[in-house]
Formats: sequence, structure tokens, C-alpha cells
Amino acid sequence: MRHWKELVKGIWSRNPQLVLGLAFCPTLAVSTSVSNALWMTLAATFVLVCSNLLISSIRKIVPGHLRIPLFITIIASFVTVVDLLLNAYQPEVYRSLGIFIPLIVVNCIILGRAEEFAQKNGVFVSVLDGIGMGIGFGLTLTVLAAVREVLGANSLFGYTLIPGMEPATAMVMAPGAFFTLALMLWAMNAVNSRSKRK
Amino acid sequence: MMKDIIKPTVILTAIALICVFLLSHVEKLTVPVIAKRAKESREQALALVLPGFTVTGDEKRARVDGSDFTWWEGEKKVEDAIMKEKTVKGFAFLTKSPGYSGDIETMVGVDENGKVTGLTVISQTETPGLGARCVEVASRETLWDRFRGGIPVRDFADEARIPWFQNQFEGLDTKKKIGFMRRGVWNPNMRESLLEKNAISAITGATITSTAVIAGIEAGVARLAKARATQAPAAPGGAR
Repeated sequence: MRHWKELVKGIWSRNPQLVLGLAFCPTLAVSTSVSNALWMTLAATFVLVCSNLLISSIRKIVPGHLRIPLFITIIASFVTVVDLLLNAYQPEVYRSLGIFIPLIVVNCIILGRAEEFAQKNGVFVSVLDGIGMGIGFGLTLTVLAAVREVLGANSLFGYTLIPGMEPATAMVMAPGAFFTLALMLWAMNAVNSRSKRK
Repeated sequence: MMKDIIKPTVILTAIALICVFLLSHVEKLTVPVIAKRAKESREQALALVLPGFTVTGDEKRARVDGSDFTWWEGEKKVEDAIMKEKTVKGFAFLTKSPGYSGDIETMVGVDENGKVTGLTVISQTETPGLGARCVEVASRETLWDRFRGGIPVRDFADEARIPWFQNQFEGLDTKKKIGFMRRGVWNPNMRESLLEKNAISAITGATITSTAVIAGIEAGVARLAKARATQAPAAPGGAR
């Protein structure tokens, strides 16, 4: 039962962006289209799961003051792996996501989960935590991206929705990301505070 | 004291070794694929920016204004008005100019009259969904077509499957100023009216990206002239 909890907490009760307030930078920047959002989710989740796995398995031998340089080394290595793999096998995605793939290194969910969870918990639950957080991150990112792509580019997965209609371009630009994310945060808090009052 | 120095050193070294081991294997696996793709895309890019031309010789390099300039020469046989065959020269060159978030590198093809024969973006780091749409292939089918299971034959069925932003440069005159207009996503029906004005349709929300590509062409054409001037007396066999 505990394992199930560690897996699903990332989706709602500990959602990385909407509850923990982490990773706003990639969320705002890459949510311009659903396919970008999904590839970003895949890349970040891979790094998150691998770094959680490695960090939790070496947690007992790592001296406290050494953890930050070690975590960064590990995370940067996995990001480089993702970077090379995407460059070799998904060049279109690699070109489209550009700088945001290397920037996964500074995605605060990954360092945050290493600090808060993986270095205190066992290997198996840390992997579950990574998968759950990845799903939660991806869900928020994809919903945000779907709203922005439909309204801002009049398309979904790159396919035009209504031929000939002029889209509201502001939605794919930075303000659209802020508005939509703010509305999502508001909806999340409204639901949570209502269920608390009961 | 010794423990404070030796233990962290050993642990850091061990972890770094694990990372290096992992990275070297992934690199061994991917680097040939990346290199092969880079070569293929270079060849595809040349075929794209100089359609119909045969590239003669290898790439040429020269130092122009303190930096390296790379270009290729090609030729194509065409028949002129009186059915006489003649050879037209074409040039492809690499050029770059600062976009919104870093240099945009393009390969541009021009014929001997200064008309653009093609353009392709080699590398860019523009914002996804905005400036990065300079490499987006316009989708002419709608999501509903997808669900119905078939892509209908629309007016653009014979359109080249290359990014629309790059497609519109063909035919522009580099001897005149290239302008830009705000017409949204380009389609082949716009070609004539835009060529009349020697302009392109800028990417919505990414005017900087669009003008940067134009600036790259202008800088590249100027440098091509200088680079060719430095090598002018070369090619002894070619002179008549």
C-alpha cells in the first residue's frame, strides 16, 4: 500500500509544479506544443528515475557535505545520455527542444527529489517516487501545453483543428503560459482547500 | 583529518568513474550515428538549396573578415530562349546571424544572378513553438482528417515536405533588399504576391528569428563575393 502511495502522490497530492512549486522554468518554456511536452516529460522522467535509482543506492556511503557535487555529477551524466540519444535517434525532437534538453540538469524536481527523497529512502521506493513525480510533472506540462497549443496555434499534436481560423498567438507566448499556469494553480488550490474544509 | 580527505576523494572518484564508464559507452553507441546523420543532412541540405545543380568539387573555405567562410559551387545545364544549352552556376554557403536566443545557422543557395535557389536551417536554438517554428513542416491535414483515417488530397498535395518558412525563400532576389510581411503561415498560393515585393512572411511572434535569417542571407552573399574574389585567379583548367 505504501508503495502505491509513493507512486501516485506525484500526480495530485505532491504534484511537482502545482503543489511543490518546482520546475516552473521548463513548464513555462516547453509547454508550447503537446509533442514538445511529451518528449520533455520522457527525457526528464528518464533522468529522474535513473538519478533516484543511483542516488538511493549509494546514499549510505555519501558524506553529507559531498552530496551536492555528487548529485550534480550523476544528474549531468544522465542528462548527457539523454542528449546524445535524442541527438542520434530523434533528431527532429532534438532540434525542436534545443537548449531545454541540456537544461534538464538544473530542473529542480530532479535535484529536489534527490535531496528530499532518494537520499533518505530505499532503492525501490525511490524509483517509484521518480516515476510518480515524472508522471505528475508530465501531466501538468501536457495539460498546460494542450490548452496553449489549441488556443495559441489552433492545432493539437501539430494537426490543424479548424482550417483557416486565426489562433490567439498570445497563448503560445510567455503571457499565455503564465495565465494558464495561474488558472491551473488556482483550480488546484480551490479543490484542495474545499476538500480540507469538509 | 586523513579520513576527511581520503574518504570523500575515493567516493567522488568512484562515482565519477561510474559516470564516465556510462557516458563513454553511450557515446560510442551514438557518435557514429550522429556523425552519419550530420553527413547525410549536409548532403540533403546541398541537394535542397541547389535543386537540379550538380555540386562540383569539395567544399571551399576562405577567411573573410576574420572568420571562416564555407561554400560550395555547382552547375546546372539549362536551355535558354533560343534552345541553346548553357551552363548556369550556383553557389551554396553556410551563414549565421544572431536570432532571439543564439546564432541561427543556415545554408543558402543562390544562382549566378543572385536569385535564392533554396534555404535550409542547419542549427538554431530559438524558443520552441515560436522561433523554432522556422524548422516546422506545416501540416496541411487537420486532426479530424487524422481521426477519419485518411489524409485528403488538398491543394497542397504536391508541396515539398520541407518547413514552410524555408520554402518561401526560393526565388528571392539578393541584389535587392529582402523585406518581410505578416501573413502568418506561408503556403504556396502566397508565393507570387510575396515575390513581387521581394519579401517573406515572418513567423508569427518571432519577427526577430525571421529577420535574423534574412540578415544571414545578406551577410552571406556579401561574404561569398569577397571569398570568391580572393580565389578568383584559381581553377586554371576552367578558363577558356
